[in-house]
Amino acid sequence: MRVIEGYYLPPRLRGLCKEVRAQVYNGITLHLPVVTKGLVQEVVKGLREARERYLARLPISHIVGVLDEASRWWLKEDYPLRQEALAVIPAITGLSRAVVKASIDAEMESSLSEDIWQALHSELGNPHYLDGFQYCSELAGHRRAYGPGLLIAIFSGNIPALPHLLFMRSALVKAACLGKMAAGEPAFTPLYLRTIEAIDPQMAEAMAALYWPGGEAEIEEALFKEADAVVIFGGVEACQGILARVPRDKKIICHSHRIGFGFIGRGALRKEAIPRLAEGVAYDHAMFDQHACLAPQAYFVEEGGEVTPQVFAQAVAEAMGVWEERMPRGRISRGEAAAIHQLRARYELGGERMLFTPNKGTAWTVAYEEAPPSFTSSPLNRFVRIWGVKEIFASLPLIRPLVPFLQNAAVAIGDEREGEFIARLGELGVSRVTSPGQMPLPSMMWRHDGIATLASLLRWCDVEKKEL
Amino acid sequence: MKGLPKEIAALDEEILAFIHQGVEHRDEDTFNRLALKAFALQFRLLSPYREYCARRGVTPERISSWEEIPPLPTEAFKVAEISLFPQLAARTFMTSGTTRGEERGRVTYDQGGLALMDATIDVAAASYLFPEGGRYLIFIIAPPPALAPHMVMAYGMERLRSRFGLPESRFLVSENGFQIDLLVDALHRAEAEEIPTAIFGGSFGFVNFFDYCRQVGIRFSLPPGSRCLDAGGFKGRSREVTREEFLVLCEEFLGVPNPFCVNLLGMTELASQFYDNTIYNRYKGLDLPRRKTNPPWTRTLVVDPETLEPLPPGEEGFLRHFDLANRGHCCAIQTDDLGFLWEGGFEVLGRATGGEGRGCSLTIDEMTRIAK
Repeated sequence: MRVIEGYYLPPRLRGLCKEVRAQVYNGITLHLPVVTKGLVQEVVKGLREARERYLARLPISHIVGVLDEASRWWLKEDYPLRQEALAVIPAITGLSRAVVKASIDAEMESSLSEDIWQALHSELGNPHYLDGFQYCSELAGHRRAYGPGLLIAIFSGNIPALPHLLFMRSALVKAACLGKMAAGEPAFTPLYLRTIEAIDPQMAEAMAALYWPGGEAEIEEALFKEADAVVIFGGVEACQGILARVPRDKKIICHSHRIGFGFIGRGALRKEAIPRLAEGVAYDHAMFDQHACLAPQAYFVEEGGEVTPQVFAQAVAEAMGVWEERMPRGRISRGEAAAIHQLRARYELGGERMLFTPNKGTAWTVAYEEAPPSFTSSPLNRFVRIWGVKEIFASLPLIRPLVPFLQNAAVAIGDEREGEFIARLGELGVSRVTSPGQMPLPSMMWRHDGIATLASLLRWCDVEKKEL
Repeated sequence: MKGLPKEIAALDEEILAFIHQGVEHRDEDTFNRLALKAFALQFRLLSPYREYCARRGVTPERISSWEEIPPLPTEAFKVAEISLFPQLAARTFMTSGTTRGEERGRVTYDQGGLALMDATIDVAAASYLFPEGGRYLIFIIAPPPALAPHMVMAYGMERLRSRFGLPESRFLVSENGFQIDLLVDALHRAEAEEIPTAIFGGSFGFVNFFDYCRQVGIRFSLPPGSRCLDAGGFKGRSREVTREEFLVLCEEFLGVPNPFCVNLLGMTELASQFYDNTIYNRYKGLDLPRRKTNPPWTRTLVVDPETLEPLPPGEEGFLRHFDLANRGHCCAIQTDDLGFLWEGGFEVLGRATGGEGRGCSLTIDEMTRIAK
């Protein structure tokens, strides 16, 4: 049986962990430290010291260089830690190896130096504000940005290679960071932090990843008290529960569960464009098995184009079959399978609807119907819903009740209405508009959930002093 | 009102005769013949079902065994009229719908279908609930049919009350809720007068009653022969207790020993019911573990959650039921109840759930809770 470490402590702090317990996940044994309030207090003390000693003094260009190097290592097929991740994450998460591979590639390809510099420029104007006072012409004076001393992150979910983004952000703002791993995917982050350690061990001294069961209020409250900033990922209710325990004077960023939609207008439904468009829509559902907040809950497709929504649904079904070959759907629970079987029955027996499925099993489903009067959520796991609308703007009232949860929208209207349509989505609260086939692939420049994630962590000092 | 076609009435006669043969036989051939006959009829008369079967390459000519009959998922009853003779509706039952705004499944019975259901209730109860015969004081922790006309459990319990109950037997849920004082008084009287008593009801009603008894400090020691019949689970309407705890509570607060407490699996989509076998086994002197029993006019398969292919005994999967008394809608029903087959019966483990806490997309359950 394979044994891996489900946590990361930098070498200097490893001795703090006195007791390790083993947790078995589908043939993988994870070693997890027994986490106590005393342990986390010692750990964050060590992380802060390392930050003051080294990370806080590093030039941003060095930090970007290390992060870029780490991404490049992870993109190499034969990198041993990547191999290890590909061996264990599928077993732990249930996702197929091909999906895990695709998600690591997607995350790392968008985490190279060019992306990082662009993200810094886009949020800060001048990344060197992080290094020292820089002249700012708008201010007509000098300005500097300071990151938090200690950032605590609470992760959730099973999407591999996502928490590493937060460790990148914390490093960029020169913050020490302790992340609480998600029970659903505790393997990737420790491996990633070992890469940072291999490239620049002193930088890794300010990073740690631990796991403790949710609701350990004593541990979390001790950490929140120590923290300067707290970043939370999780379910809507879980986030609210955690938020209530974070003291008011901390910087807080909260990414709770969200949903996405696709919108295809009649102008985009040209015959010759269908195969590519269908493949893109299928990819949006296949990636991460539709578990990510980036994934679509449904695609609204407008009538009156060269191709009808029904025919388009069939094309998407063919593409889903192709994606299943390339990148199979993962294991699902019995409850998830039940939800798929039962919802399929609604489409098969519910009148003017269409259903496409493989011959056996629940690997993918494409269902067509006229857009229903009110929203119900998808069972996910590659369940594609194509919702026909007479006019694409008629889709907006249906998503209006979901405003607090809206995140990602794929839009291909295909005519002059597109600008107006995107404007309406923006007003409703959508924080990213992209093309079909690009939903799972946000850039590092994207302001995640509408938040400037780097800038929001900073404190500024402006020198407006005038020489007499 | 126009009656059922002759051919249907004739099939109903055959099914009725089969049910009235009781539970002591395993006539596979007759079961299979009647199941295929009912399927052919349902295939012909129910166009959505016919299309459903055709897409699976199944027609009555192509199959020779009841196991090949395509089952309709319970969800089908929420979106389509699954009824052979909706114009001859004698009774319509509806599923409970557990969350806000959820659509409810509808099952309509014609007169002949209702007669089949009545027969299953009578014959199954006479074998699995009251094999010793006689009449009992029956108290029912559920609303009567007049208050809950679409609740199949109310209908079934009323039938049991009229067939097996002494005159003072009654329902104990009114417009104002559970009349707990009436039950307490009645049980004190039954105890004093030594009249064997049967308490029926939703599982949560029992638990709420036990919690009340604990709170006010009362316990009963019902006369020998008394029994409990619970159905339907907890549905968030009482605290959740395991089956083992439930049986301990029945003994503790009612003095009804373990074998005399039976759980009933009933579904709006099924005319027949499945009882725990403990009263029956005790009566017959059989030493077998507690299981749900298939009366001879029903069958249960357990299927793989992913492929819906049948699984061998002992393996967990979704229960799929076949019920000849479902002649009026669809004999084969695919549930998402988890269970397994074992030693001539089956066990039900509860609804399949899961899928929470996987990704970062809003889930159905989360959505439902937030909407509340």
